[in-house]
Amino acid sequence: MVPLLAATAPPPVPSSFSGGAEAIAVLVLLSEFAMLRAPLSRSQVRLYAFQSLAVTALAFFVAATQHVPELYALAGFSFLLKVVFVPGIVLRLLKDARVDLVASNRLGVATMVLLAIALSAFAFFVVGRLPVRSHSLPTPALGLAAAVILVAFLLVMLRSDVVSQAVGFFSLENGVSVASLVVAAGLPLIVEVAFLFDLLVAVVVFGVLMRVHHGRTQSLSTDVLDRLKG
Amino acid sequence: MAAVDLAPAEIQALQVLTIVVFAPFVSGGISHLEARLQGRRGPRILQPYYDLAKLFRKETLLPNDAGWVFVVGPVLAFVCYLVVPMLIPVLTDYPLPLGYMGDILGGGFILGLAGCSVAVAAAETGGPYAQLGSSRAMTFGALIEPSILFVTFTVALITATDLPYAEAAVARASLSQVVRPAHLLAALAFFLVVLNDTGRIPVETHSGTLEFGMIDEARTLEHSGPLLALLQWGSAMKQLILYVILLNVFVAPWGLAGTTSLGAVLLAIPVFLAKAFAVGAVFAVIDNSFSKLRLFKITEFMAAAFLLAILAVLVLYLGSG
Repeated sequence: MVPLLAATAPPPVPSSFSGGAEAIAVLVLLSEFAMLRAPLSRSQVRLYAFQSLAVTALAFFVAATQHVPELYALAGFSFLLKVVFVPGIVLRLLKDARVDLVASNRLGVATMVLLAIALSAFAFFVVGRLPVRSHSLPTPALGLAAAVILVAFLLVMLRSDVVSQAVGFFSLENGVSVASLVVAAGLPLIVEVAFLFDLLVAVVVFGVLMRVHHGRTQSLSTDVLDRLKG
Repeated sequence: MAAVDLAPAEIQALQVLTIVVFAPFVSGGISHLEARLQGRRGPRILQPYYDLAKLFRKETLLPNDAGWVFVVGPVLAFVCYLVVPMLIPVLTDYPLPLGYMGDILGGGFILGLAGCSVAVAAAETGGPYAQLGSSRAMTFGALIEPSILFVTFTVALITATDLPYAEAAVARASLSQVVRPAHLLAALAFFLVVLNDTGRIPVETHSGTLEFGMIDEARTLEHSGPLLALLQWGSAMKQLILYVILLNVFVAPWGLAGTTSLGAVLLAIPVFLAKAFAVGAVFAVIDNSFSKLRLFKITEFMAAAFLLAILAVLVLYLGSG
């Protein structure tokens, strides 16, 4: 038998727990990418619900491992609000609007994905330089959260329909949630809940926007907003 | 019963034989299952063997302008597929003689040479569909290449080598190696690569007869007789080789023989076939539940594979995830 070659020592292996937590954080980022390329508005909203579920799971994970009981409450709130309530409302608005597909890609899908990869790499590198050591979640999750935020911006910029803008804004909040779990897991509950109420207000605003926009233009595309009215 | 030990060279020969002998069996099993999922009765599981036997008895017809390349291409491809099983852990979890003559990239190069020789042989015929197929196969082969490279980088960063045996050993070592995001992402990216390279549904309908949607399939249209048999056998072997890499290196490197005893090595064969059928069943379900992408949308599929592979490297490089 030939022994296995090993030129240099491989990097340290994360423990099963932190590896699992980081895999969930990667899922959050992957669902952001999926939202960027999903053609149907409905599937974007479902992906947002899935992403929120992953964030909830992360909050639950931190609560269980770090013994922060407030985080259980936060996980419960965010499950109700972000997995059930918000996607439900947006899906219902979409059903009323009876629009399935909005041709809203400003660039080709492959180009968008490559651009988003470049942005996430940027986020990884920049945040990796920060001297942050988290005790609640593996530190790379902070880079992942920053990548989620940047890709959410890209989603808002590159897709020109109201649903994408709303979903992009909501998922931006998911990225911020992950970042706050990494950096400040013991944040007072009242601050976290205030974030969630912000989200609630945003849902109302975007709901009104969708309704009014669709009522005026019979479409969900924002391209028509460029046209001058005389 | 006294334990009979095999020489490493014999086990190596057995690895190659396993791939050669059982490749049509696995293909037949998957197409049988596919037919069942579609509510058809389907061909026998052993049908590919009958097809091969029939083709080997037929005469070879050459197109008018075809030269020696047309004949050599399928043979060279077949030889390539005989070489690759030596580099990868088909039956054993320890490396065998000649197992270190190439790493993952080396195996990739040999598979690339096989694809290239088939494409050149197809282009030699002057037949429009064969040429269309070889041009498409080369184009999409080049587009999927970055994903393969980044999967290799991931393996290199995890194990500090880029040998398939080392990656399998690392994954077997502990659960935390399996759930680390880099490993999961690389395995998923490689899954998409296999989906592409075996001509499966989001990319190509492998059992279709419509030439305009064909990529790999169109390359064999001009061949006949024993040459066609070699091409079909070769593509079944390529599929099984890719399954070996997916299963025994990334997803499920368990159930391999750990010793040189005859019993352990022989037991590894049915275990491996069971795993191959399991992954084949996953591919059959995917085949039946998605539709084929339009040709110009295939780049989106490639972008997804590339995204997974590059995220694996980024997560590893920046956070030792």
